[in-house]
Amino acid sequence: MAMLSNIVSIVENNWLLLLVGQYPNGPLGGIAATLILSVLGIALAFPLSVLFALATLSPWRVLRWPVMGLVYVARGVPLLMIILWVYFLLPILIGANVSGFSTMVVALVIYEAAFLSEVVRAGIQALPRGQMDAARALGHSHLGAMRYVILPQALFNMIPSIISQFVSTIKETTLGYVINVPELTFAAGQINNRLLTQPFEVYFILAIIYFVVCWTLTRLATALESWIAWRRSGAGNTAVLAATHAVAAES
Amino acid sequence: MSNAAAPSAAPMIRFEGVNKFYGDLAALLDINAEVKKGEVVVVCGPSGSGKSTLIRTVNRLEEIHSGAVVFDGQNVHAKLGGSALNKLRSRIGFVFQSFNLFPHLSVLDNVMLSPIKVSGVGKTDARTRAMELLERVGLANKAQSFPAQLSGGQQQRVAIARALAMEPPAMLFDEPTSALDPEMVGEVLAVMRALARDGMTMMCVTHEMSFAREVADRVWFMDAGRILEVAAPGDFFRTPTHPRAQRFLTDLHAR
Repeated sequence: MAMLSNIVSIVENNWLLLLVGQYPNGPLGGIAATLILSVLGIALAFPLSVLFALATLSPWRVLRWPVMGLVYVARGVPLLMIILWVYFLLPILIGANVSGFSTMVVALVIYEAAFLSEVVRAGIQALPRGQMDAARALGHSHLGAMRYVILPQALFNMIPSIISQFVSTIKETTLGYVINVPELTFAAGQINNRLLTQPFEVYFILAIIYFVVCWTLTRLATALESWIAWRRSGAGNTAVLAATHAVAAES
Repeated sequence: MSNAAAPSAAPMIRFEGVNKFYGDLAALLDINAEVKKGEVVVVCGPSGSGKSTLIRTVNRLEEIHSGAVVFDGQNVHAKLGGSALNKLRSRIGFVFQSFNLFPHLSVLDNVMLSPIKVSGVGKTDARTRAMELLERVGLANKAQSFPAQLSGGQQQRVAIARALAMEPPAMLFDEPTSALDPEMVGEVLAVMRALARDGMTMMCVTHEMSFAREVADRVWFMDAGRILEVAAPGDFFRTPTHPRAQRFLTDLHAR
């Protein structure tokens, strides 16, 4: 019971730090920074991953090989390696200081783009071969077929996987801790350093916060998955598909 | 070359010494044949005889190892730039056994997509034309539906309208009724019959012998990658010359 009241008082005294870090007196941190890092990481990685996937599936070797190499390397090393490489190499390459936050975004984008491109590739390859055949038979180029026929279907089917990847990204932002990015884990570390005597309570709070955010998103992905399965069965095709197409047609 | 030549004499599709192998297996063996303009050719034969492979070489969904397939004077299997091949393909209507409608697009958009994106037709024109074609296959009332909401027969009729939207001089049908429930075969064949009556050049791989008998100008019988017999349907069904064709027809009647 003592532990529970400790937890309550830690939250009462530090909720703002957990939420936004030292903002507005310092850099934005806490849950806000964690979510912004994750959203930026995925949002920037996603278009890149589509390009990577198109390159690995393209008929042209000059495109396919370097991108496949990049994807294999990025998937074959731990994220921490990428973070350290970006942290030490990027400032040399661009000749300027790079904040921990930007370093983290760059590292996440490289890593997530590599993983997502495999998701996109699988999504494209999961479509029946007849779709590509039909598009080509009508005279569409390879890229035209991808753009108007294959990708709109594949990306729609991939929404749940993308959310799962987003959940992974949230968990991966914790590694920003090693280069002092002021995100949620960093905030918890600060609290723990100040209190010194209550590590279990502090890291229990941290675990709960991550769990609630990630579990909610995972549930959302599951719900979307069954909705998409229902849609693919042809049950409720009209409204939303029309909307999806409207978006595709505008692009 | 000359416009004065009788239209029926000019070949629309010509196979010249076509060979294709899967390893040691000959999928197509020394195919020499032609489909004349305005002609309806039905390709039949036992499964695995190479019929589908043959028809798919016409728009180069299948590659060949040697020979040429000439469509309207152009060798489809020559070294072509990508856009030349795309242009050629856009002029060859192709209907698949499994329909292959685009499930994320409405029926109308399925028919409109390629005229707009491939041929550069304006949206309004494409829509008018698509509605005419849907009217023609009897599905104008389904224009706003999605493929998954249609029966197989309806989907295949939309697929025919989609192919016609590119205004191809010839239509290829690869077993267009094989994936359909028996009661839906008739509606698809009716559309194909009407097309033939309007003078469309057609090459159809099909097991529907009644259709062949009634609509075809000539029947090609294939087995083991070869065309064994080419005959008018009346002759083919009454007095097939090749023993393999005789056996095939006997087996068909026994069903």
